[in-house]
Amino acid sequence: MPKSIKLKEKYPPGDLAIWIIIYVELITFGLLFLGYAFARRLDVELFNSSQLVINQTSGFINTFILITSSYFVVKAVQNMKSMTQKNHKESNAKASKWLLFAIMCGVAFLFIKVSEFSHIFGLGIHLSTNKFFMFYLFLTVFHFLHVLLGSWILFIIYKKTKTYGYTPDDYKGFETGASYWHMVDLLWIVLFPLVYIIR
Amino acid sequence: MKRILEYIWISLVLLSVFAYLLGYMEYISSTLVIVLLSTTLIKGILVIDYFMDLKEVVWKYRLIPLLWLVFVLSLIVVAYYLPVVKT
Repeated sequence: MPKSIKLKEKYPPGDLAIWIIIYVELITFGLLFLGYAFARRLDVELFNSSQLVINQTSGFINTFILITSSYFVVKAVQNMKSMTQKNHKESNAKASKWLLFAIMCGVAFLFIKVSEFSHIFGLGIHLSTNKFFMFYLFLTVFHFLHVLLGSWILFIIYKKTKTYGYTPDDYKGFETGASYWHMVDLLWIVLFPLVYIIR
Repeated sequence: MKRILEYIWISLVLLSVFAYLLGYMEYISSTLVIVLLSTTLIKGILVIDYFMDLKEVVWKYRLIPLLWLVFVLSLIVVAYYLPVVKT
């Protein structure tokens, strides 16, 4: 019997336009990551001492939160993929539950980040304090805005699942939002060790 | 194979715990930086392949984020290993 070969999908999940956005975002953040890494070389001591001010534990908790939220989003996407005309209401309902967990994670991430920022700003630190904080604030605030947008996108998808708006023939919008959320997770996976851990 | 997503999630969490524990060290040796960035590479690949679901897509769409990840992490290693510039 011939071995069955699973054919690869021709296009990535979701709208192709989101993938162009994802690739552009990756390049933008990539340049910022490299800017941080090479700027650090010019003043390692300053970067190491400034790094002690930021809270590694909140960085780790946020890593855990984003990874877990991405897992919830994948579970929601799985419900969409296994959807049939017969069970489409049930699939939407199940997906909405997973999405709600993911949104809660997104909100938790934002709350932790706001408390981290208020601590930093409370110390009188701002963008021009030094090069480390310039990069730290620029990178984390920029990423924060992406999480904010991602959470909003997930909320819009969540609302549509509550009205059973996705069908087996049309759930591309769902996958588009999910792909954006995973990009936000991927960016944090690089940002966390670079800014919070390496010294 | 049915619970592969759960294994991926556990792997990502464990690798993040490892990175967090490394952060408690006063000084991270050059070898540990390589190890840390290697675990970051593994985490990134897991997200790209299983969360973004690019494993099941034609290679070109998967290649772009993979190349990005390898390129960025490699240059971070280069920046770390280059001699410190005294100004």
